[in-house]
Amino acid sequence: MTCEAHRDDVLDVLYGEADPAATRRVEEHLSGCRDCRDELDGLRRLRGDLSEWELPASLRGSRAIPSVFRSTWWRPLAAAATVLLALGGALGLSGSELRYDAGRVSFRLGRAPVASAPAASPGQDLERRLAALEARQEEALRTIQAALASGSGPAAADQLLPRMERLIADSEARQALMLDARLEDYADRVDRQRRYDMAQVSAGLSYLDGKTGLQVARTTELVGQVLQASQKR
Amino acid sequence: MSIDSKAAVLWPGASYPSRVGPSDEELVETFQGGDSAAFEVLVRRWDRRIQGLIYRVVGGEEEARDLCQETFLRAYRGLGTFKKEARFSSWLYQIALNVSRDRLRRRRLRNHVSLDELTEESEARWAQGGPTALDLVESRDLSRAVAVAVAALPDEQREVIVLKEYEGLTFQEISQVLDVPLSTVKTRLYRGLGQLRLHLTRQGIRGAAPVPAPLS
Repeated sequence: MTCEAHRDDVLDVLYGEADPAATRRVEEHLSGCRDCRDELDGLRRLRGDLSEWELPASLRGSRAIPSVFRSTWWRPLAAAATVLLALGGALGLSGSELRYDAGRVSFRLGRAPVASAPAASPGQDLERRLAALEARQEEALRTIQAALASGSGPAAADQLLPRMERLIADSEARQALMLDARLEDYADRVDRQRRYDMAQVSAGLSYLDGKTGLQVARTTELVGQVLQASQKR
Repeated sequence: MSIDSKAAVLWPGASYPSRVGPSDEELVETFQGGDSAAFEVLVRRWDRRIQGLIYRVVGGEEEARDLCQETFLRAYRGLGTFKKEARFSSWLYQIALNVSRDRLRRRRLRNHVSLDELTEESEARWAQGGPTALDLVESRDLSRAVAVAVAALPDEQREVIVLKEYEGLTFQEISQVLDVPLSTVKTRLYRGLGQLRLHLTRQGIRGAAPVPAPLS
């Protein structure tokens, strides 16, 4: 048998899939064929090299699970949290009033004059202003929680009310800032996409233009040849 | 957390054998019976392997993630009509390879035009397809050299090489996944290995080089 005829058996041996009969056939052939021995050795070394190709670290550590397939136990909680956040945001943005009176917390839905949020500025300035607002909110919350825990009664409630109103105003301002920043970011992305699309269209037109030019040149050459042929006649 | 312990968490009272866990085909049957959570286990069992397969066939980390999700979405849509006589893994590999081929086809069409445009964005996207020859020259890194060599193979050979070398499928399994005769699988593999050896030898990778015959 020729070396070529043993190729499939050699592959089976190389990958450990050979049955005893195939293994015997290959061994017998290799004992008398140096070329095939070298070939098998070379393929084994090649497999060693191929095994060096590792996946990028980012793929080794991450899963690629579409969110629709994830477990569903948290979905009701997530939905509830979303509703609460939306309500909170709506309350803050609509200028609703939160009141603590006679030991009871109450709120009124309404459209109070919205605090004039300063225009959002990009980069560090925005981050600084957001951080300052967040710090003030946290401070106000801590104060309110401390007052509630001490249970100082209606007198303390009167002091609490302005703080809570200020908390809401800060929240409104913070959300307005974030909204402006997101709108700015969105506009920037749309603009970049538009420029990319224009570049694509331009490249496509250049390509078509090149093709058309080539076609015209071919047609001109063909007409020239026809004219020459007709003149010869 | 292992697949089996994950399955135990998902179905604490389930009657699946705790030692080996439900097979793919049992999970498919559970899914077809109306328990969509069974698909979660199949995804967790296969997503990394499918992601790796796609990365090696298509190139590009982000593309691998996207196409892996696309693969499981298609599997999810088709699992209801999955025939029980087929192996789930072979079926899933087929979907992943089809998704990969679609992407490669689209990429080639797009690059036909983008050769002229040379915008920064298109260059960046082109670069996502895998390391360039320049990368290779600069890095001299074996892993990247192999990646470049595999990327340079014809699609049919690359698929067989990846399924065999990196997914560890048997010849018979590859034959089923690709729906081609066993002899075709071995021919593609042999030719692919030959191309790889040639490519790596040209790059100065010594291990791949054939042993020179002794002087007599």
